[in-house]
Amino acid sequence: MNCPIQNRNPEALVAYTAGALDREAARALERHMADCAACRSMAADQAAVWKALDAWEAPAISPDFDRRLYRRIDREVRFSWWDRLTRAFRPMPLRQALPVTASAGLLLMAGLLLQHPGPSTRVAPRGEIVRANQVESTLDDLDLLRQFGAPDSAESAHPDAM
Amino acid sequence: MPCDSGRYALIRFGLILLLTGAAGPAKSQQEPDRPAAQQPAANPIDRWNRMTPEQRERELAKLPPARARLIRQRIWRYNHMRPEERQALRERYQTFAQLPPEKQQLVRQRLREYRELPAARQSLVHREVAQLRALPDAQRQARMNGDEFVGRFSPQERQIIRDLTTYFPD
Repeated sequence: MNCPIQNRNPEALVAYTAGALDREAARALERHMADCAACRSMAADQAAVWKALDAWEAPAISPDFDRRLYRRIDREVRFSWWDRLTRAFRPMPLRQALPVTASAGLLLMAGLLLQHPGPSTRVAPRGEIVRANQVESTLDDLDLLRQFGAPDSAESAHPDAM
Repeated sequence: MPCDSGRYALIRFGLILLLTGAAGPAKSQQEPDRPAAQQPAANPIDRWNRMTPEQRERELAKLPPARARLIRQRIWRYNHMRPEERQALRERYQTFAQLPPEKQQLVRQRLREYRELPAARQSLVHREVAQLRALPDAQRQARMNGDEFVGRFSPQERQIIRDLTTYFPD
């Protein structure tokens, strides 16, 4: 199996920790993770995020939820510009902040890992193929430009085409 | 878990965003820093030279043997030009390659017409283009509309000078 991190396809790891991979793909990934510390570590971090998200329980909606919501929207409309500006900086309750922080941490780690891969993860660039026709037309253009280019081109007249 | 798909999508989206951002710097690390003004972009011949001998032979094998031989000879000449001459040609080609296709075609046509001029006329036309290129736009236009210009050059030569000066600033 190709390494999901080297292939810049960590979705397989995310799907694995979410239990979204089929059995065969999950086994292949587990075999790969047995030898790949980077994938193992990323899967463990991802599992930690899932755990944090699982621990987060959304509060039950109260019977008067709609009425309070509309009242709040109504209040919001009447907020001063200063209230609106400073709202974003007010502290978030811990229960809400925990999963957000865990997700941000994982994303940061994944970014760092992929930005500084080990020596074995560098992939050689694929050689570009230039068509012979393109080479021929470029040579024609270079001939024209060369004949016009040099100040003494007219005198020497460049009999030898490139 | 009722929110699994939403959370999964959120995490996946975040990861994709992050990886997209990470791909840029990683690529730039693989390429050495080079000042763009000093190093013109590689032209197709330079890129051809970077291919493996097997790749080049495979491409040339698609052409009739005589044509392939001629291309080999022409590439050999390009590769054996004096380095400063080749560099100047690279820069000129880069300027040319940056023109829109229709302008490239026009410049090509004028350069072919120039090539067909007698050697003595080529010299005069070349010198005139070089002098016009050095002038500010208004003076250049005034000179090209002047009697002396009209008297010295044929209509075809004037067109060559005009188009090469306008569309192909060296």
